[in-house]
Amino acid sequence: MPQWFVTGLRRGVVTTRYPARREPAADDLPTPPAFRPEWLSQDRALRLAEVCPSSALAVADGELVFDVGKCTACGRCHQAVPEAVTASGEFELATGRRQDLVKRIPILPSSAS
Amino acid sequence: MTAPDATQPSAADEIAAATALSRRVTALFGRSLHIRTLDTGSCAACEQEIRLLAAPHYDLHRLGFFFTPAPRHADLLLVTGPMLRAFSLAARKTYVAMPEPKLVVATGACALGGVYQPDAFSYGSVDQVLPVDVWIPGCPPSPLALLHGLMVAVDRLAARVGSVSFTADGE
Repeated sequence: MPQWFVTGLRRGVVTTRYPARREPAADDLPTPPAFRPEWLSQDRALRLAEVCPSSALAVADGELVFDVGKCTACGRCHQAVPEAVTASGEFELATGRRQDLVKRIPILPSSAS
Repeated sequence: MTAPDATQPSAADEIAAATALSRRVTALFGRSLHIRTLDTGSCAACEQEIRLLAAPHYDLHRLGFFFTPAPRHADLLLVTGPMLRAFSLAARKTYVAMPEPKLVVATGACALGGVYQPDAFSYGSVDQVLPVDVWIPGCPPSPLALLHGLMVAVDRLAARVGSVSFTADGE
């Protein structure tokens, strides 16, 4: 907000330049998580699926299935397993294909955990 | 304050980009694109963000999008909430009342099936009742995410209008 104010005073325009240009305020948005596969053991993946309150995370066929559409960016997965989960910073997620929102993240073989 | 970056587009480029999008919308419809919002049981967080699109900072109107209260004037249905069973008839009627070509945009994690499971009270997601064309994730999606979703929707609309065959199917 202070940045918008300064920009507005300088340019006389308060409107975002978003579609043509990056919006700085977008860096502060809560965004869905990104996962680090090298830290994602079987146990951790199961724990992530357990803590997700909006059923966006599930373990299937040795992969962590992440449905971005169901994610509310609450951050509980990051709290539960901070090593393996970080913020993605992605907010331009709209799509015309629902299946594009379902991401599959490989899990380490159970012996490595 | 940092010095202006030569690689960044200038203010004139920004206006040109906004004007180009606005012109594209006008070329597709012969007028601006009108949005009808439909709350199918959301917590109103999505509505707050949608309302902000018309505020001076986001200024949706500069891009050629407008809100309308009438489904018969609307080209795009912006649906929020998990689609309550009690509301599904009204949602279908709203969709039927809209003129072709029309688009349905499911907005927020509820509408995408994330928050509520299907039960006696809600369908759990919008696509159980309406043919969804564009999905916008987020809880709630920020106005920037909504703007991006609307631009995705315009692209899709262009593709859709192009696929109209003008052949009668015997009705």
